Order: sequence, then C-alpha cells, then structure tokens
Amino acid sequence: MGSYQASIENKMNIIEHLQPTKVFEINLLGVDASIYNSTLTAFLAIGLIVLFFSVVSRRARIIPSASQSLAEYGIEFIRSQMLEPLGKEGEKWLPFLLSLFCFILVSNLLGLIPGLLPPTSNINVTGTLAVLVFILVQGLGIKKQGLFGYFKNMIPAGVPVLLIPLLLPIEIIGQIARPFSLAVRLFANMFAGHAIILVLLSFIIMFKSFILLPLPLLGDVAISAFEVFIAFIQAFIFTYLTSSYIIGAIESEH
Amino acid sequence: MDLGYLGAGIAIGLAALGTGLGIGMLAAKALEGISRQPSASGEIRTTMIIAIAFVEALCLYALVISLILVTK
Repeated sequence: MGSYQASIENKMNIIEHLQPTKVFEINLLGVDASIYNSTLTAFLAIGLIVLFFSVVSRRARIIPSASQSLAEYGIEFIRSQMLEPLGKEGEKWLPFLLSLFCFILVSNLLGLIPGLLPPTSNINVTGTLAVLVFILVQGLGIKKQGLFGYFKNMIPAGVPVLLIPLLLPIEIIGQIARPFSLAVRLFANMFAGHAIILVLLSFIIMFKSFILLPLPLLGDVAISAFEVFIAFIQAFIFTYLTSSYIIGAIESEH
Repeated sequence: MDLGYLGAGIAIGLAALGTGLGIGMLAAKALEGISRQPSASGEIRTTMIIAIAFVEALCLYALVISLILVTK
C-alpha cells in the first residue's frame, strides 16, 4: 500500500513537471504577463526560424547550398501539398502557413531536448493559434462571400426549406468545434508524448534495480524517436487543416 | 480510495479500444489499396496519416479527461 501511494504521488509529480514554471515575474497593469520557461522555448523557436531563413535568403544562389535546399523544400512542400487548389491566390497565404508550420514544428522538436518545455504542450499556446485561425477563416469567409452569402453557403443547395432551421445550427456548431479540436489535438499529442517519456523514466525510480534499468531507457529511446515523427505529423496536420479551412472560405461553391 | 482513478482508467481504456479498432481498419484498407495500386502509395499514405490523426485525437480527448480526473 505504501509503494502504491508513493507511485500515485509520483504520477502527480509527472504532471507537475509538465506545467510551465515562472522564470521572472512581470505584472502589466494587473495582468499576469510573466515569462515562463515555455515562453523562453517559444522565443528560442522564433529566433531559430528567423535566423535560419534570414541567413539562407541573404546568401541565395542559383545552385543552392544544403541549407538553402532545405528552406526551398519546406516552401515547395507547403505550396504543393496545401495550396495547389488555390493556384495564383494561394501565394498570398504561403507566408502565413509557412510560419505556422515552422513555429509548431520547431517548438515540437525543441521540446524533445531535455530541460526545454515545448510551448505547444500548453493549451494556452495551441488555443491562441487555433483562435487566430478561426478568426482569420471566419473573417475571410465573410469578406469573400458577404455576410448573407456566407450563411447561405453553409447550407447545401437544394435542401428543403423546413430543414434549414435544423441544418444551420449544426453547421454553426461545426464551425465553432473546429478551433477546439485543432487546439486540443496539438496540445494533447505533445502533452501525452512528454508524459509517456516521463512515466517511462519514473519506472527507473519505481523498479529500484540496475538489472531492469535498460528496459525503461530503451523504451524511452523508442518513444523519443516516435515523438520526432509525431512532431512532424502534428505540425503538418495543423497547417493542412488551416489551409483546407482557408480554401473552404475562399471557394464559396462546394 | 477515490473513484476518480477508476474512472480515469476506464475512460482511457475504452477510448484506446475504439481508437485501436479505428486505426486498424484504416491501415488495413490503406494496405489493400496500396497492394492493388502500388503507384498511388504516396497519396494513400498521406491521406491515411491525416485520417489517423483525426481518429487519434479522440483517444487524446479521453486522455485529457483522465488526466483531469487523476489530478483532481
């Protein structure tokens, strides 16, 4: 019973480890604007992205170097995978989607370095990104189709009039559910990955034996490798869904 | 003893059951498609991964719920 109680306390500690801790406190007119350790990781991610792209674009050559090829591959990847249906108009959305993709990818990957807490494992960060996308898509839809046309296009053509009061709320709820699922998907994936890594590491303390030591460590290596894959997939999914929402808002007729 | 731990276990277990079945079906159908038409394997793989991410998210919702139950 004693060890069981200890293991429960252990699990509590794991979740506390994934909470951001204050580095230094800033109070902006009564609003808590403190710098947390995950904020520092976010700044580091932004700094790395800006540094990489500014260095690469300054020394752009016709015969690309290795880093230039990487940047070009990233741009080409977004263009071919996501913006293909929009054609010329898609070019306008490339910078937004590329920065979204790079930010999520780099912060996911930075989180795998021990000691750095990824900002994407915090619901506030993913929620902000998702609400940003939501406002952008709704505003774009109203701007492109007009306020009346926007609501009209929610209902498929040829639907009986009696069904409209039923379909419209469902469609509106669907629109509101989008940012929620975007935010929770990214947050939960990153949070769960780090929780699994920490649970495996806590087995070392629970087993208290050197013979069994390689098992959690090997598991940890495997999970960490899988996390690299997850980091790419989640960044791709978030950007892909954003682009499909943008395409849906621009193209009124489905 | 708190029933919250039991609830957390049941929640994540049932969610993992459904998600496992869903991802299994997805992968089986994708494999069928690839073996029928190996030239379309790239496209099928991308679509499959996106669909898996949707299914997986359901399990992660349950994970969030069980974490809330455990830490309550």
